[in-house]
Amino acid sequence: MNIRKLSMLMLLGSMLAAPLAMAQITHVDMRVEGMT
Amino acid sequence: MKQHLGRQSGVQKVEVSLIDGKVDVTPKEDGQIDPAQLLKATYDSGVSVAEMDVNVRGKIVKDPSGNLALQISPSRSYQFAQNELSQGLESLSGSPTVVTLRGQLYKKPAGKKKPDTSQPLKLTVLQVQKKE
Repeated sequence: MNIRKLSMLMLLGSMLAAPLAMAQITHVDMRVEGMT
Repeated sequence: MKQHLGRQSGVQKVEVSLIDGKVDVTPKEDGQIDPAQLLKATYDSGVSVAEMDVNVRGKIVKDPSGNLALQISPSRSYQFAQNELSQGLESLSGSPTVVTLRGQLYKKPAGKKKPDTSQPLKLTVLQVQKKE
């Protein structure tokens, strides 16, 4: 029973955390001056 | 410069194009990349950054001062520079929607050589690519 509750909590937690876990900088590009 | 940037936290790959003065940085998936640190590292390697653009995913939030921002981690968010596109995202504030956008984090002010890293970078939205 406890294991079932714990699994449900973990599942719920991962569902809530997922959108922010996906959040990140995926690419950076810079235009630079003075490069030789 | 390529090696210097490659050593920065969260950087997976750096590609430099000498012809058009472009530097492409591919971040690692650990989300540890810090654009302000990249700006400083680029300057320290002897070149100045004219512009820095990013592709970024995050949630729209309001920071403690009530300014609209893009949150990309629990501890990191970028305040939006106000424009028409950022205003269009205001309705998503506080919602679980993840927005993918292309934005500009830095543009060199006329006449200045060294980037001002004392001020937090503001994100100017150039294109909203996805809302999910």
